[in-house]
Amino acid sequence: MAETCPKCGYADVPGDECPRCRVIVSKYRAHLQSLGTGGVATLVAAPAPSAPPSQWRPSPAGGAPGGIRRLSFHGSGGSLFGIHIVNVLLTLITLGIYYFWGKVRVRSYLLSQSEFEGDRFSYHGTGKELLIGWLKAMLVFGIPVGLLVNLPEFLDAAFEVKVAAGVLAYCIVTVFVPVAMVGARRYRLSRTAWRGIRFSFRGRVWDFVKLFVGGTLLSLVTLGLYSPFFATKRQGFMVSHSYFGNQKFDFDGRGRDLFSPYLVAILLTLPTLGLCWIWFAARKRRYFWDHTSVSAARFHSTVTGGALLGLYVVNLLLLIVTLGLAWPWVKCRNVRFAFRYLTLEGPLDMAGIQQEAQVAVAATGEGLASFLDMDFDLG
Amino acid sequence: MQTDWEGFYLDGRTAARQRARVRLMQSGIEVSTEGGLTFLWPYDQVRQTQGFYAGEQVRLEKGGEIAEALLISDAAFLTALHEVAPERRTRFHDPARRRTRVELTLLAALAVIGIALAIYQWGIPILAAFVAPRVPIAWEERLGSSVIEQLAPPKKRCEDQELRAAVDDVLKTLTAPLPSRPFTLRVIVVNDSLVNAMAVPGGHIVVFRGLLKRARTPEEFAGVLAHEVQHVLQRHVMRALLQHASTGLLVVALTGDVSGAMAYGLEAARTLGTLQYSRVAEEEADREGMRMLRAARVDPEGMITFMEGLRRKEGDPAGFLRYLSTHPTTADRIERLRSLAGAPGRPSIKLLPDSDWTALRERC
Repeated sequence: MAETCPKCGYADVPGDECPRCRVIVSKYRAHLQSLGTGGVATLVAAPAPSAPPSQWRPSPAGGAPGGIRRLSFHGSGGSLFGIHIVNVLLTLITLGIYYFWGKVRVRSYLLSQSEFEGDRFSYHGTGKELLIGWLKAMLVFGIPVGLLVNLPEFLDAAFEVKVAAGVLAYCIVTVFVPVAMVGARRYRLSRTAWRGIRFSFRGRVWDFVKLFVGGTLLSLVTLGLYSPFFATKRQGFMVSHSYFGNQKFDFDGRGRDLFSPYLVAILLTLPTLGLCWIWFAARKRRYFWDHTSVSAARFHSTVTGGALLGLYVVNLLLLIVTLGLAWPWVKCRNVRFAFRYLTLEGPLDMAGIQQEAQVAVAATGEGLASFLDMDFDLG
Repeated sequence: MQTDWEGFYLDGRTAARQRARVRLMQSGIEVSTEGGLTFLWPYDQVRQTQGFYAGEQVRLEKGGEIAEALLISDAAFLTALHEVAPERRTRFHDPARRRTRVELTLLAALAVIGIALAIYQWGIPILAAFVAPRVPIAWEERLGSSVIEQLAPPKKRCEDQELRAAVDDVLKTLTAPLPSRPFTLRVIVVNDSLVNAMAVPGGHIVVFRGLLKRARTPEEFAGVLAHEVQHVLQRHVMRALLQHASTGLLVVALTGDVSGAMAYGLEAARTLGTLQYSRVAEEEADREGMRMLRAARVDPEGMITFMEGLRRKEGDPAGFLRYLSTHPTTADRIERLRSLAGAPGRPSIKLLPDSDWTALRERC
């Protein structure tokens, strides 16, 4: 009697060896049993279930209500490296054009390997969108600023012209940084989904530009003392205009709560040779997450400065020893690290989460961000 | 073969997922949901967006931008799908081909290594050697002026008239046989104990007092000067700038998106990469410098004895460390110079016959 291969599911295995995946069926079965899993084998080898669709077991509606939920990451540096190396080859062959499609593959992989409540996230951006976004950003930002910076030097213009051009370029960059931050976030969230429901960002660019330019000036005037307030405001803007479907994220952090840790970090900079800033970064991360909520559930982070220091040191060593080639492993380590210390606590009504996608978003902001050398990671 | 599978159905409207029974039919995928709905998805309208890696749930979508989705945890579903609808082979991922994918990935890795090495070994040097001579000298001079400000601020320059005249005399002897000179060559002596000399963009050569004192004869000094003049004439500075920039591009292409701490690792890679180019340039400057000395009928022995003196004082990096240096080892350089100097041909002229070099070099 022909049987089904327990490994690849091939239907008509003539003898003991599967003609497709070359597995020895009896040995594979024994191996599975010795592992105590048998999961794949029994599921596949079992006769087709004939139970009518009406006999449903009660399904847990939206997971444990009010429980503690975690994100988990299943990706491996090896698989990401495989994706990356193929991307590099195609990018070199196409003289750089494939770069955008490669970026999509990496993001897709990272999100597909991130799981919440038994389901993976998904990425819906395309290489074409990213390429067009980059080209637009090149037109409105890259070329003008490039000319402004290089042309006076080139033409050997008068000193005053050079200074004026430099100041103008600096102002443009300062304005474009917040534009790019908002644009990139809007694009990325609009292309990210979980259980088919898209995230979105609905903050207005102009509001953020005002907040950003004002905050930068105030930080300068106060010799940096304003920066914890500024950071909190930025975070608040980014979080409180983010949505998952019709559910709004909320942020109730206040800058003054970070002010004393910030002062302590300044005072300890010399005696700790700057290491105290890692502890401040951890404190800030905890504070930001603990003041972030979505519908009735609240995030909670337990990250510590020591853990963060360990992450940084190992990442840095990995990168230096491998001359940068270990970055896929570093990327996976970063995501796993971010998820390890993060929980979402409180009820989530899955049926109440309705789709409210904002898909008509161009990737121009995303392209800008790549010009300004910004990268946004989960933090 | 199994045709019925359990999974989840997402309607694209709420985040609640419904259990679903999925049946593979000849015409498409039949889905029966927990809610009692049954519908058929024709294979042509279904796309797979997840489930390409072990342990990743299979995700099938149907519809436009905001799609309905089916989630099936068992990868064997894909195998069954290929059996039922073999003509849709290219639409859906086949888990049996994962091994082939690994093999192809390894091939791609080998190809990347090959291409990157070829670009590094030939592409970048050839490109730089081609472009550098075509960069207008005016640009290079503009580039050099700020470097000179830093390296040789006017306060630290030796302005002694006699020393100046002697140095210019040596330079003139060296460059006399040259057919034409695009650069205005100028030597600046800087009051600093460093034993070094360097070519600055735009045709300036900075010599530190320390080096001047290490040169025992005008011929030794001429040897050093010939080497630096060749750096200028061969456009090595411009070439190094181009190589530095393109190595950066290559490193970025190889490593993808980088930010923060990652940049340090990359900078290390780039520096290591450009050191090799630097050693090649030094070798060329030695070779062409030696040819220059012979053409000007200056005793080539001076360049060699200067190197020997340097080696006795400084020594050479041992073993692997030589690959971390901007220059080839002094021993290698001496050996190569000896073979280039060849047999003494025409009698050489004596440099600065009317001056006392030992006293002159102290005048800084």
